[in-house]
Amino acid sequence: MEPSNIWTEKYRPQKFEEMVGQDDIVKKVQNLTKAMNIPHLLLAGPAGTGKSTLALIIVKELFSTNWRENYLELNASDERGIDVIRQKVKDFARTKALGNVPFKVIFLDEADALTKEAQQALRRTMENFTTTCRFVLSCNYSSKIIDPIQSRCVIFRFKLLSQKDIEKRIKLIIERENLEISDKTIETLYEASEGDCRRAINLLQASASISPTITSDLINTLISSAKPADIKIVLEYALSGDFLKSKEKLLDVMLRDSISGTDIIKSVQKEIWNLQIDDELKVKLTEKTGEIEFRLVEGSDEFIQLEALLASFVLAGKGLK
Amino acid sequence: MNEKSLPFVEKYRIESTEDIIGQNRAIQEIKLFIKTFPRKKAIILNGPPGTGKTCTAVALAKENKLEIFELNASDLRNRAKLEEVLKPVTLQQPLFKKGKLILMDEADGITGTDRGGLPELIALIEKTKFPIIITANDIWKKKFSLLRKKCNIVNLKNIEFKNSIEIIKKVLEKENQQISAETINLIAEKSRGDVRALLNDLESVISLGEESLKTEISEREKQEEIFISLKKIFQNPPDSKTIRAYDNSNLDLNEIALWIEENIPLEYKGKALYNAIESLSKSDLFKGRIYRQQHWRFLVYQNFFLTAGISTATKLKNKKFTSYKRPSRILKIWLSNQKNAKKKSIIAKYSKLCHMSKKKAMKDNFILPLILDNLDEKVIKKMDLNEKEISYLKDRKAAVIIANNLNKFRLEN
Repeated sequence: MEPSNIWTEKYRPQKFEEMVGQDDIVKKVQNLTKAMNIPHLLLAGPAGTGKSTLALIIVKELFSTNWRENYLELNASDERGIDVIRQKVKDFARTKALGNVPFKVIFLDEADALTKEAQQALRRTMENFTTTCRFVLSCNYSSKIIDPIQSRCVIFRFKLLSQKDIEKRIKLIIERENLEISDKTIETLYEASEGDCRRAINLLQASASISPTITSDLINTLISSAKPADIKIVLEYALSGDFLKSKEKLLDVMLRDSISGTDIIKSVQKEIWNLQIDDELKVKLTEKTGEIEFRLVEGSDEFIQLEALLASFVLAGKGLK
Repeated sequence: MNEKSLPFVEKYRIESTEDIIGQNRAIQEIKLFIKTFPRKKAIILNGPPGTGKTCTAVALAKENKLEIFELNASDLRNRAKLEEVLKPVTLQQPLFKKGKLILMDEADGITGTDRGGLPELIALIEKTKFPIIITANDIWKKKFSLLRKKCNIVNLKNIEFKNSIEIIKKVLEKENQQISAETINLIAEKSRGDVRALLNDLESVISLGEESLKTEISEREKQEEIFISLKKIFQNPPDSKTIRAYDNSNLDLNEIALWIEENIPLEYKGKALYNAIESLSKSDLFKGRIYRQQHWRFLVYQNFFLTAGISTATKLKNKKFTSYKRPSRILKIWLSNQKNAKKKSIIAKYSKLCHMSKKKAMKDNFILPLILDNLDEKVIKKMDLNEKEISYLKDRKAAVIIANNLNKFRLEN
């Protein structure tokens, strides 16, 4: 097999014309960019719908070859504190842009992960450096962005990509990469992607690394293996009365995939309804889960709080016998 | 206060750098720093407690006729405060042509509440017209990494045993006192190179008699080890002393909580287990509130749930001998971090190249070995993947294929 690239990058649209879906947004942004003067932008919408791609196209159109010098990309969910805004953003924003365009562009990805304090700091920075710097913010939920920032931005709401849009992109890749795949399998791929184009392409590339002939069966196997059934096992150990084993398994899962306590609680809450237990008990356990989620926020040691949850499952399991 | 009533640590605080024992190299470096100022604007004196960091700074100021300006952990040291207090001092010319020395004592104590303190300190170092001396117990903590770059670092060692003996003898001579050689050795040994501890012990021996030291040590021997505390909590019925079960322990409440966590399942089952972990959870809740709100009064509740709460979890106490286990969770986390280092660095490189957060990339972790398989040289270079990471990815791919029986999908060409 020939050496490959990462497809999500290789097939990332490089021009406005190449973008799929979001036609209205693309047209408006294209006009703004042509005028060589963009306002601050807030791109809101689900994952894998083209927010980062659009931001990259904007800077490439604006600055052409020297876009790298005039562009700073920060990921707010990795660097979410106030220090990032104060240091990195300010340092970058205060110097002049190179080339013909009078401003630089900062792309703050997943800006809804910024703390409230950081957003407050950002608000002043956006105003003070407007002449030298424009901000493009992306987020999943615009409601998590404080109002003063929203009011300083032109907001574009991205829609979930339609089946047609994703299939268009997938078919292009299939053709270029010489893959064999039926229309029915492409549909399976779309459904697995849940409208997230990145996810669809990643699944396609993972499947292709196993075999150039891709079947629905292969895709489904990959999906089911990527979905950890582990939380269910943790809960089943607890319900069967084995506290130690369930605690051990929980720690394993958390460490292996670096999952936070909050994410564990979320999957527990989802999983309870699928357990083979009495509905009334499900309600009780969900209430307890809510209580523990609250303590997780208030307390200091996530794992101790989760253990308390497991103990209540053990107790509930006792009543089953 | 007359000289006699001063505690030894003050009374025998050294007056000149000549008197500092066992730190010759460090002293030389510090003197050189003052002499060549402003070639380097700041120096860090790094070392364990009681090795003479503050003494050195004060003595140095005296010898060089510098006015000393000190901020220590008892002062609020956030950005605004440092700016307000130190900026005028660092920039203004001294009155009466007297120079100044700025001492930022106990830098370890610049904590979360001193928001922006460290960056401000670094900014001051750039601008200062006077030498700055910073003392710290552990300058190698991550939060000091920027500060370290701006400063010379001088390490002060623990005082050697023979020097400790020398100090004790000097003080005894001045106090006109005599104690047995055995006690002298004992004091020196116990101090482990901490002169402050040494002077305190010596003082109590002189005022209370040599027996005091011995009884104090035997008291310490009697101190309840964590095992005894655990037995008391888990196996004895609760009584008036229950809530003081950890008073004599050397461990802090956070460590004790880990011991309790590890050993609850060994002692309690069923409803008792549930009750005990509920108490542990509530104790942790108050700990979180203490940290977040700095409301230390909640410590009472953190302790209460960790003692009485655990103890009252059941009336039917186990009386059999339990061999308690050390807490294992922290070790497991550490081991897993070691193991996951490669995975994390790959995720970081992947997320950077693909314009996404590490958190999001982590969600693709499972199929990542398949996507990053057989990459083009150019991409490998762009991602900056090293040999080890590539072979790790290959191993992971093989593991994924086997675990999910993916071989059946592979075409035989």
